[in-house]
Amino acid sequence: MKKILYLLMGGWFLCSPMLSSASLIQEKKCSECHRLSQESDKKKGPDLFYAGNKFQASWLQQYLQNPVTIRYAGGIQDPGFLKGTSESSQNHPILSTKDAEKIAQELMAITLPDLPDEVNSLDPLTKGQKAKIKYQFERTFSCISCHQSLNLAGKVRGGISGPSLVNAGNRLQASWVANWLKSPNTFSDKSRMPIYEIEDETRLQLTQFIMILKNENIR
Amino acid sequence: MKIFLIVFIFAIAIGMTACGDKPVEINTAGKPPLKAESHSSAPIATVATEPVVVTAKTRETYQWYCAQCHGTKGKGDGINAKFLTVPPRNHTKAEYLETRTDEQFFEAIKFGGLSVGRAPCMPAWGSTLSDSTIHELVRYIRELCQCEAL
Repeated sequence: MKKILYLLMGGWFLCSPMLSSASLIQEKKCSECHRLSQESDKKKGPDLFYAGNKFQASWLQQYLQNPVTIRYAGGIQDPGFLKGTSESSQNHPILSTKDAEKIAQELMAITLPDLPDEVNSLDPLTKGQKAKIKYQFERTFSCISCHQSLNLAGKVRGGISGPSLVNAGNRLQASWVANWLKSPNTFSDKSRMPIYEIEDETRLQLTQFIMILKNENIR
Repeated sequence: MKIFLIVFIFAIAIGMTACGDKPVEINTAGKPPLKAESHSSAPIATVATEPVVVTAKTRETYQWYCAQCHGTKGKGDGINAKFLTVPPRNHTKAEYLETRTDEQFFEAIKFGGLSVGRAPCMPAWGSTLSDSTIHELVRYIRELCQCEAL
């Protein structure tokens, strides 16, 4: 009897760090609105089963303490999405600094295996490349129609059906952006964004352009 | 006079950098690469070879992709509409749409607005939607405007 008790206690001590490291996402019930695995049904919040590939940890920490609107029209599954009546983006819970740091850490550990590093050692865009890719962002690929961006004067402009890219450079990881542009189906069964077959050079430049977009560049 | 000149230059600058309203020169170099172009040299059938039927799936496709800008009823009042420099086309107005052919509709959807000399706000859907789906959408727009090409 004593042996069994010791075994149970030993097991608890061994497992408790693992349990506690996974528990805050569960405790805060993140999975009620977000998919934490690709197998579960689509939820109203953005998918998080690749959070560790997609987000920057520092941004996650800030967002969880001070949620800001990224999808002004709400999630694409939201019944109010096309009517402009979605409220889903305004209702994210606010967490304490300690909880935000812990959840951010947990989220960064949720990654897709074998996602290639697409942006290893890229040279920064030259002024000319930047101007050309901005033109393509707006006119060739029409990204601006659905995504907010910054114009040359540092003003916010663009559509709202897609997530805002105004602070993408602080929010997203460059490699994830490049992977999304290459193969959106890796992350989403069906998004509302057009699929393009873009040459690698242009795709990586688009990625670099998106990563330049930051709140601190708003004028 | 100076003010007029500044306004004029500014208007041109906006037209060049954003979604210009004026018909622009067709720029095939700026056309996004599509599957059809990158993998096949077969000619693209801009005219449907078989009778096209609008189904519930066609309407669903319109709601999923097109309604973001063109609105759920096709009136050009989608959620992105007020943020675009050029208003999305109102698909219920026959006056303009009857001056366009089905081939022009098809090309605008498949290759984007620029390909038919219209606004670059309209992206190319040719790698997202099959040619047959695009033909159905063309038919559906004809239903919405209750018009045919003159």
